[in-house]
Amino acid sequence: MLRYTLIRLLAAIPVLFFVVLITFTLVHTAPGGPFDDERKASPEVLEGLNRHYNLDAPIQKQFVDYVANLIQGDFGPSFKYPNRSVSELISTGMSTTLELGIYALLFAMCLGALTGIAAGLKPNSLQDYMPMSIAMIGICLPSFVMGPLLVLLFGIYLEWLPVAGWGLSPGDKLLPSITLGAAYAAYIARLTRNGMLDVMSQDYIRTAKAKGLPQYRVVIFHALRGALAPVISFAGPAAAGLLSGSFVVETIYQIPGLGRFYLQAAFNRDYTMILGTTIFFAVLIIFFNILADILLAWVNPKLRQSLRGNSR
Amino acid sequence: MISSLLTKKSQLNTALQQYESGRSLRQDAFVRLKKNKLAVFGLIVLSLMIVLSLLTPWIAPYSYEAQNLDLGASPPSWQHWMGTDIFGRDQFTRVLYGSRVSLMVGFIATSVALCIGVLWGTIAGYVGGRVDAIMMRIVDVLYALPFSIFIILLMVVFGRSLLLLFLAIGAVEWLTMARIVRGQVLNLRHQEFVEAAVSLGLSRWQIMTRHIIPNILGPIIVYTTLTIPSVILLESFLSFLGLGIQPPQSSWGSLISYGVETIEEYPWLLIYPSVVLSLTLFALNFLGDGLRDAFDPRTSKD
Amino acid sequence: MPLLSVSNLTTRFYTREGVTNAVENVNFSIDEGELLGIVGESGSGKSVACYSLLGLVPCPPGKIESGEALFDGKDLLKIGERALRDIRGNSISMIFQDPMTSLNPYMRIGDQLTEAYRQHKKSSKTEALSRAIASLEEVGIRDAEKRINAYPHEFSGGMRQRVMIAMALISEPRLLIADEPTTALDVTVQAQILELLKNLQEKRKLSIIFISHDLAVVSNIANRVLVMKQGEVVEQGEVAQIFNAPTHEYTKKLISAIPASGKPAEHKFASSSDKLLSVENLYTRFNLQSGSFFNRKNEKLTAVNNVSLDIYKGEILGLVGESGSGKSTLGRSIIRLIEADSGSVRLGDQNIRSLSPSDLRKARLQFQMIFQDPFASLNPRMTVFDALAEPLITHKLIDEKNLIQTINELLDDVGLERKYVRKYPHEFSGGQRQRIAIARALALRPKLIIADEPVSALDVTIQAQILELMLSLSKKHNLTMLFISHDLAVVRYICDRVMVMQSGCIVEQGETETLFNSPQEAYTQSLLAAIPQIPSATG
Repeated sequence: MLRYTLIRLLAAIPVLFFVVLITFTLVHTAPGGPFDDERKASPEVLEGLNRHYNLDAPIQKQFVDYVANLIQGDFGPSFKYPNRSVSELISTGMSTTLELGIYALLFAMCLGALTGIAAGLKPNSLQDYMPMSIAMIGICLPSFVMGPLLVLLFGIYLEWLPVAGWGLSPGDKLLPSITLGAAYAAYIARLTRNGMLDVMSQDYIRTAKAKGLPQYRVVIFHALRGALAPVISFAGPAAAGLLSGSFVVETIYQIPGLGRFYLQAAFNRDYTMILGTTIFFAVLIIFFNILADILLAWVNPKLRQSLRGNSR
Repeated sequence: MISSLLTKKSQLNTALQQYESGRSLRQDAFVRLKKNKLAVFGLIVLSLMIVLSLLTPWIAPYSYEAQNLDLGASPPSWQHWMGTDIFGRDQFTRVLYGSRVSLMVGFIATSVALCIGVLWGTIAGYVGGRVDAIMMRIVDVLYALPFSIFIILLMVVFGRSLLLLFLAIGAVEWLTMARIVRGQVLNLRHQEFVEAAVSLGLSRWQIMTRHIIPNILGPIIVYTTLTIPSVILLESFLSFLGLGIQPPQSSWGSLISYGVETIEEYPWLLIYPSVVLSLTLFALNFLGDGLRDAFDPRTSKD
Repeated sequence: MPLLSVSNLTTRFYTREGVTNAVENVNFSIDEGELLGIVGESGSGKSVACYSLLGLVPCPPGKIESGEALFDGKDLLKIGERALRDIRGNSISMIFQDPMTSLNPYMRIGDQLTEAYRQHKKSSKTEALSRAIASLEEVGIRDAEKRINAYPHEFSGGMRQRVMIAMALISEPRLLIADEPTTALDVTVQAQILELLKNLQEKRKLSIIFISHDLAVVSNIANRVLVMKQGEVVEQGEVAQIFNAPTHEYTKKLISAIPASGKPAEHKFASSSDKLLSVENLYTRFNLQSGSFFNRKNEKLTAVNNVSLDIYKGEILGLVGESGSGKSTLGRSIIRLIEADSGSVRLGDQNIRSLSPSDLRKARLQFQMIFQDPFASLNPRMTVFDALAEPLITHKLIDEKNLIQTINELLDDVGLERKYVRKYPHEFSGGQRQRIAIARALALRPKLIIADEPVSALDVTIQAQILELMLSLSKKHNLTMLFISHDLAVVRYICDRVMVMQSGCIVEQGETETLFNSPQEAYTQSLLAAIPQIPSATG
C-alpha cells in the first residue's frame, strides 16, 4: 500500500507540471496585461513595473524562474495587492474555503449515505421513492438557485439565519454548507441506493442471511463495504465539484474564500494569483483523487493485493 | 436490419411478410419507456422547450433588448407574464431567448463531447492492447485536471465567446463518454457473438458496424441524455459567475444571477428563470433515467 | 418422527409480467441422519422450496401462500423472522452453488466463520476462533490456523466450497441444505466434495437435503430422491426404486436424458484414414499482467503446450479436460480466434497459421464454431433471418432468390419452425437459441465444426435433444467435429475418438470405448473414477 501510494504521488508530479505549463501559457498568451487599467502610467513606470515583476524577460525564462520559485514554495508576489505575496493570499482564503468544503462534504456524505441505504433496503417502496424524489430535486436545483431560495426563505422571510458572512454571526455557516453540499448529497444518495441494490442481490448477502445474522449485521458488516465503493470513487470528482461550487456559494453569501479571490484575480488579470490558485486547486483535486483510489484499494482486499505487486 | 444486409430488399421483404415479425430489443425498450410516466413527462416538457426556443423570434411578445425605463421592474401582469426587469425589459421574452442559448449550448457541446468520446472510446476499446493503455492513460490524466477552473480561466482570458464555450465544455465532457463507450466495446468484444462474427469471416468494419455499434447505441443514447443537463448546468454556472454569455444577450444562468442581486425587491426575476432551468433539468434527467431503465431490462425487472 | 416435515408448501412470485407458481403444493419429509436429494431442471422450484422454509425468498415479489414445515415441533413458516434467525445457521445451515460469490470477498474467512458461531452460541471470540480452526480442519483445510486470516479469493474453487461447508457446520446444525454445491466445480473436485459431505453426514448423523439438477450426482449420494418439475413434486422414493422403476413420465425422460444411461451412440467408424486437419507443435501463451501500471510484471501462461493432433474426415473428436486445462484455447487457436505463438495448423493443403488476414477471412467458411452460452452467442439485435443470412451474403455464396429457401432448409435441419424467422434471440429459449447457433455454423457448409461446450449451459432434457440433433446432423451432412467438453458422459455418448487434456498438454487419446474402458494414464483414470456412477448402470 505504501509503495502504491508513493508511486501515485510520484506520478502526480508530471501531471502537476503539465497543469503549471498549460496555465502559464494560457495566462501569458492572453490579450491584455495586468497593468492595462493604469492608463495614466507613463511608459517608464510601466517598464519599471514589468521589470519589477520579471515580465520583460523572455517567456521561457519567466517560466523557468516561476517553476524554480514554485519548487521552493514561493508563488510570487500578487500583481494587484503589491504588498502581499500569493502564498499569503492563498493561505488567507484557503482555511475558509476548506472549512466550507469539509462541512459541505460531511453534510453530503452523512445525509446521502443514510438516505441511500434506507432507500436501497426497501426498493420500490415509499422509503425508496420519497428520498429519491427529493434527491432528484437536489440534482436539478443548482447551487446558484438553491442558495438564493434558501436565503429568501430562511434569511429574509423567516429571519432564522443570517443571509451572508462566514463566522461573523452564529449559524451563518449553516446555509452555505447546505447550499454547497445539497447536490452532492443527492448524487451520493443515488449512488448508495444503486450500490445497495446491487450488493443486496449478491450471493454472499444470501449466505449472511442464511447464517442467521440480524439485519443490522448483514447491512453494516456485509453490505456496506461493497455498496460504498462507488461512493468512495466519487470522492475525487466530488472534491473538484465542491471547489468550483465554492465559487458560487462564496459569491452568494459574500464569503471571503479562495473562490472569490480567484474570480477577482481572473478579472483583474493578476497573473501570479491566477497561476497560484489554479495550481493550488489542482494539487487539492489530484490529492483527493489519489486519496479516493487508496481508500478504494483499502476497502477491497483483492485490489489491495494486486497493488502490492511484489506479493507473489 | 434486414435491409442493412441486403441491397435489393423489396422482393425478399414481401416474401418474409408472411412470417410473424419479432419484437426487437429497441421496440421492447420503447414500450417500457412509454409506460414510465416520468420519462414521458420529461419528453413532453423537453419537446415543448425545444419548440418554444426554436420559434422564439416569432412568438416572443417583445424584443429582448427593448428597454422601458418608465416601467422599471414590475411584477408579473397580463402584459408581462413574468414581469419586467429594472430596465423594463420583458422577462418572459428574455427567458425565451435565454432558453435558446442554454439549449443550444447543451446540445452542441454535448455533440462535441459525443463525437470525440465515442470515437476515442471505440478505438481504444476495439484496438486494445498498448493503444488502449495509452489512450485511457491520457483520459486518466485529463480527469485529474481541475477543468472547471480551466474553463473559467479560458473564459476570462480569451473573452466570453459562445464558440469557446462549446469547445471548452465539450472538451471536458468527452472524457466520461470515452470511458463508458470503451467499457461497452471492451465488454462486447469478448462476447461470443462477436467471436462468432469473426469466425464467420466478417471484416473488422463489418463487425464494428453490424455487431458492435448497434449494441452500444443504447448506453450512448442514455448517457447523452444525461450529459445534456450537466452541460446546461455548467453553462448556467459560468453565466452566473458572469463568465458566460455577454449582455444584453441572456441565458438562464445570467438571468438567475441578475435575479439574485435583486432577490429582496423583485423575487420574480429570480424565480421564473430558476423554475424554467430546473424544469428542463428535471425533464432531461427523468428522460435519461427512463431511457436507462428501458434499455437495461436488468434494472427494470425488480 | 421425521426431523423436518413439509406439507402443502406453495410459493408464488408476483411480478409485473404475472404470477408464477414457483412451488405448488409440495410435501416431503426428512429423517434424522437421512440424505434427501431433490432433482429438477432450472425453474422446477427445487431451490425456492428450500429457501421458503428458511425465509430466504425475497418477499415481495415472492409470497408463501400456504403450507406447514414442522421442524423440532415448530412450524418454520409461522414462527416469524426473529425466531427463524435463531434457527438459520444454527440448527439448519445452508451451502450454495457458487463458492466464488457466496463468500463475502471483503471479509477474512475467519471473521465469516466466527460471526455465525458467536451470534448463535454467544461465545467469546477466542472460543469461536478455535472452533473455526477445528471446523476448517474437519473439512480438510490444511494450515487452518494460518489460513483463517486469508480472504476468499486466496482459495481455489474447491477449497472455497470447503470453507463454506465449514462455515455451515460450525454451529453443529442438525440439517444441512446444500443447493447445487458441486455444480460450479470440476469433476474431480466434485467427487472430493461429495465424499466429504457423505463422511460428515455419517460421522455427525447429519441430515442433508441435497439439491441438484444432476440425477447422476444425486443418485450417488442420496438415500431418497424427490423429482420436481415446474414447482410440483412428480415422484419421490428410494434411489434404487426411482432408477429401476420410475413411474412418472418426466422421471423416465430425465433418466433417459443421462447420456451414458441411454443407448450408446452408434459410432460411425473406427477411423477413416482421410486426414482433414493436422495440428503440429502448437503453442499458445498468454501474458499475465499483474501489478499496477508502473510496476507491471509480465508472466507467461502456456495455455496450449506443444499440442499435435489429427482430425479425420467425418469423425467427432472429443476434447475433454477440466477448467483451465486449455481445451477452449486450443479450439480457438486452431481456427485463429486466438493467435498461437508457434506451430502449424494444416487444413487440406493450406497452412491456416500463415494466411494473410484477408485470405484468412475467405478461408473461414471452411471452419465454423458453436459456442457454449446460447444467450451470448447470438447478436441480440439481429433476427434469426439476419443471423443466418449474414454468413451467406458475406461469402457471396448465394443469390437473393435462393436465400429464403436456403434459410428455410437450415431451419428445418435444426428443427426450428420456419415461422420464427423474423424473431429476435431474446424471444427464444436456451435450447432454441442453440439450434439457431448450430444453423448459423452449418450455413456455410463448413468442413470442420468446433463445438465448445455446446450443451453445458442447457438443462439435461434439452441437452439430450441437442446432442441427438448434433449426431443426426453429423450423419446427414457427414460433418467433422471437434467437440470440446468437461462432461465425460456427454463425450462418451457423442464422440468417436477422445483426447484428454491437462494443463495445456494432451495426456491421452484413443477411440472412445477403448479409452473409457481401459484408460492408461493416471490422470484419465482419476477423471473417469470421478464420474458419478448411476445405480442402474452398475446393477
